[in-house]
Amino acid sequence: MITTRTAELRWIRADLRARRGQAVLTVLAVAGIVTALIIAATLLEDGTNPWRGLFQRSNGAHIWIHSKDVPDVSALRQLKGVTDVAGPYRSAPATLVARGRRVPITLQETPAALPAVARPLLREGRWLDVRTPNGVVVERSFARALGLRPGSPFTVTGLNGATHTLTVAGLAESGDQGFYPEWTPGLAWTLAQTLNVVEPAPGRTETVTGLRLADPAATDLVVQRAVFTMRNQVQRVTTWREVRASMELDNRLLGLLLALFGGAGLVAAALALANAAGGRVLMQLRDIATLKSLGFTRGQVVRMLVIEHGTLGLLGIAAGALVARLITTYAMGESVVVPLSAGPLSAILVGTSLTVLAAVLIPAWRGGRTPPIPAAPAAPPRGHLSRLARVALLVRLPPALVLGARDAFTRRAPAALTLCGVAIPMMMITIGLGCWTTLDDFIRHPESVGQAAALTVRPAELTAEEARQRAMADPDVVAAYPGAELDALVPWQTRTVRTRALGLSSDPYPFPVVEGRMFADRGEAVAGQGLLDLLGVQIGDRVRVTIGGTPLIVRIVGRVVEPEQDGEVLSLGVDSLAAKDAEPPQFYALVLRSGADAAQVRARLQGQGLEVAQAVNPADRLVVIRVIIVALVAVLALIGLASLLTASALGLRDHILDLAVLKAMGLTPRQVMATLVTATGLPAAVGVVLGAAAGASWSRWLIDLEGRGSGVGAGIGRAPTPGMLAAALLIAIGAALLVALIPARRAARAQVPVTAR
Amino acid sequence: MSSEAPVVRAVNLVKIYQTGGLPVPAVRGVDLTVEAGEFVAIMGPSGSGKSTLVHMLGGLDTRTSGEIWLDGRRADTLSESGWAVLRREKIGFVFQFFNLVANMTVADNVELPALLGGVSPRQARERREYLLGELGLADRAGASPAQLSGGEQQRVALARALANQPRLLLADEPTGNLDSRNTRDVLRLLGQVHGQGQTIVLVTHDARVASMADRVVSLLDGQIVDDGAIPKSRRRPLGAAGDVVELRS
Repeated sequence: MITTRTAELRWIRADLRARRGQAVLTVLAVAGIVTALIIAATLLEDGTNPWRGLFQRSNGAHIWIHSKDVPDVSALRQLKGVTDVAGPYRSAPATLVARGRRVPITLQETPAALPAVARPLLREGRWLDVRTPNGVVVERSFARALGLRPGSPFTVTGLNGATHTLTVAGLAESGDQGFYPEWTPGLAWTLAQTLNVVEPAPGRTETVTGLRLADPAATDLVVQRAVFTMRNQVQRVTTWREVRASMELDNRLLGLLLALFGGAGLVAAALALANAAGGRVLMQLRDIATLKSLGFTRGQVVRMLVIEHGTLGLLGIAAGALVARLITTYAMGESVVVPLSAGPLSAILVGTSLTVLAAVLIPAWRGGRTPPIPAAPAAPPRGHLSRLARVALLVRLPPALVLGARDAFTRRAPAALTLCGVAIPMMMITIGLGCWTTLDDFIRHPESVGQAAALTVRPAELTAEEARQRAMADPDVVAAYPGAELDALVPWQTRTVRTRALGLSSDPYPFPVVEGRMFADRGEAVAGQGLLDLLGVQIGDRVRVTIGGTPLIVRIVGRVVEPEQDGEVLSLGVDSLAAKDAEPPQFYALVLRSGADAAQVRARLQGQGLEVAQAVNPADRLVVIRVIIVALVAVLALIGLASLLTASALGLRDHILDLAVLKAMGLTPRQVMATLVTATGLPAAVGVVLGAAAGASWSRWLIDLEGRGSGVGAGIGRAPTPGMLAAALLIAIGAALLVALIPARRAARAQVPVTAR
Repeated sequence: MSSEAPVVRAVNLVKIYQTGGLPVPAVRGVDLTVEAGEFVAIMGPSGSGKSTLVHMLGGLDTRTSGEIWLDGRRADTLSESGWAVLRREKIGFVFQFFNLVANMTVADNVELPALLGGVSPRQARERREYLLGELGLADRAGASPAQLSGGEQQRVALARALANQPRLLLADEPTGNLDSRNTRDVLRLLGQVHGQGQTIVLVTHDARVASMADRVVSLLDGQIVDDGAIPKSRRRPLGAAGDVVELRS
């Protein structure tokens, strides 16, 4: 039995040695796909969940306990599950005066030497220094929102009303402080002595203590124990979950898009391998038959082929995982903080491994079925000249084309293989282009994703009416819709959903309604897909929500594209709310003149003392997807071309005897070449067209499906633009013909032996 | 000799191919017994069913009806894998187009059946060295089949067929693709192994080749039309200019 294995291994080794280049290519193709998948997943994970990386790098604390007095640190440290303690630090509320606005802020004491636990990550400027006690380090997202840079003045007013002018020394990030404005108030780290200057009264400061846990899942338990240990000192507790939630972005849409690309990558990997293995098996059917005549059983042949090609695939997966790890660690060390978490990584590895084995199994099974008579000639070419072909010859179409076309369609199995080998990558490419167009559409028509208003202004110090007037005075502002965002309790749910009141029922904000109609009366509302799914309601149903204690019954009259909050948003007119919630409006949503630069308008309005936020286009968060699309299109194109090369090599093998006949019949080498190119190129071209058509019609449906699944709702999907599609088609067909041309040219010029092989 | 079971015994062997729904009989009711140590040549024109018959005897092709007994064991009821195992142990094949495994060296080609038969790699190597030495190919062990001439390839194929000291050597037109000098060499080798007691069934349409055998079985349209031993005196010296003109199909 052991030596039987030796025989199998010896054959595998010999075969691999005989086609070293091809084997390396297979490994590289699979490795490329796996690398692309892992990097894409890493970037997406990092982009959607920056907390993970920040927390890991800053060695953050899972629990922050705010207390009046300094707690018993040693008791906290001895709590079961606590591995380390950060602080205790004193922290004081203050008000930052910036550009005429007053913004609440928290000052927190930090040592000049960076602590081991809950260590802020300095991004710009320098860290606190005892020699310059006036320097503070500001949390970066807060600094960006306020336009602060290292060196900017930092004027704070303490609770006693005294104003102190400090300087921004640096900007830092931390996994313990959420992003502004989702997480308020903003944070600045100062030295203890600076804090004492701003807030001399110990009674008005509080103490924060961070606990780092061995197991984050034990957070709730440890919070209970800590609260018990500290008796009545605890004022409030924040945990890593809240910080993470404030940093997370459209996770579901991104996750689903990643799943789509993952699927495409898996199909690509399967195609690459099935093609390489299948082509190889077809090329060596004679050798396999010989092996069987020597006494190899069907099972042994299948096993040998699976081991040979499967090993190449698994090698590719391992190499891909390694390369992706190296790239994320070294080449992208700045942008990617931590490697992909275990879940998605193992999903990718297991998924590709299973795909690889499945893709290899089919050609291996085909090889195992080879009859053991090696001398049997390849099946003689079947088929006859169809009536169509005869007519074509009669009307004097070039005979080479007719013969080639006939070849393409009488040998159905190889033609179908070529067709599929080209059509599937082409379909995937087209779907990728559809995603690209969808992203373009987000940017070109932000109103179609609910971002008709590029800016929102909050009155800050002013009254709402003043704010509206100042905003409308700007020449680029076309309309200002009064708005309020509130949390609503919905029946049967333990959590709240976002309720967005924007515009009046008589003059509604231009929500992108894709189903039903816009609200037109008090008591009517529109909702995102996520909310409809959450409540299990349909358009036309009434829902009862509780907003700030006031019950409100609204009828949902339409569905909007809703990119925020996973689509769990109820939108209605301000006048539908109770007066206490509606007046005065919390903010105004500003629609700008088309072509206006939102950033400039924002700067102008900020100069007017308004607090202005700029809408973040979902496409800007999805930029990484464009990189992935380009990479995947390149990999898919290579796979398509590789499968075409295999197909034309196989076609040539089947034709080698015909070539002599064709030449004997008097066809010139050029005509022979044209025949061969037509025989391979025609199914390839048909495959390209079919694949593109399928991709174009499915991409919209598929993206809408993703949208629906993510709560954004159907209606965002776009098919690739006609120009893009035409260019893709022309390039693909051109490349296919070119690839078919190379072996055909060589074959047409070669001296063809008339004997059997 | 007579107490020993015959190496091959075929009883009323029939093979019908289905081509496009039409039954095409290739072998119709062949009875054939080959005793141990016999050298049987099967002759017949193209399409007479001689290759099909040999393929069935080696289990490369399935029979439609009839029985095949190898070495006293019934073999026609074996599964494909059963046949494969039987071939490893008892049958060596030589084909017209040599059919060496293209991507393996000469040495690997010869060692493969021995390894498959369960011999240790060392023994397989020794057997290969012995066989290649006997066939005058010792210095070509590391070459790939494509680097060999047709005659050399067929000699390697012969070495491979003999690697497991099979009970039965089946040769399907072994000289069909060789020139006269190589034909002579290969036939001389066949004669040598036969002289050492090897049972051989050889398919040919070349009367000169057939004249090497102890016995010639003639097939026509799938049936045996003649089966007779060749008297020793009538056997031709090999390689003499033939006075029979053969048409190669």
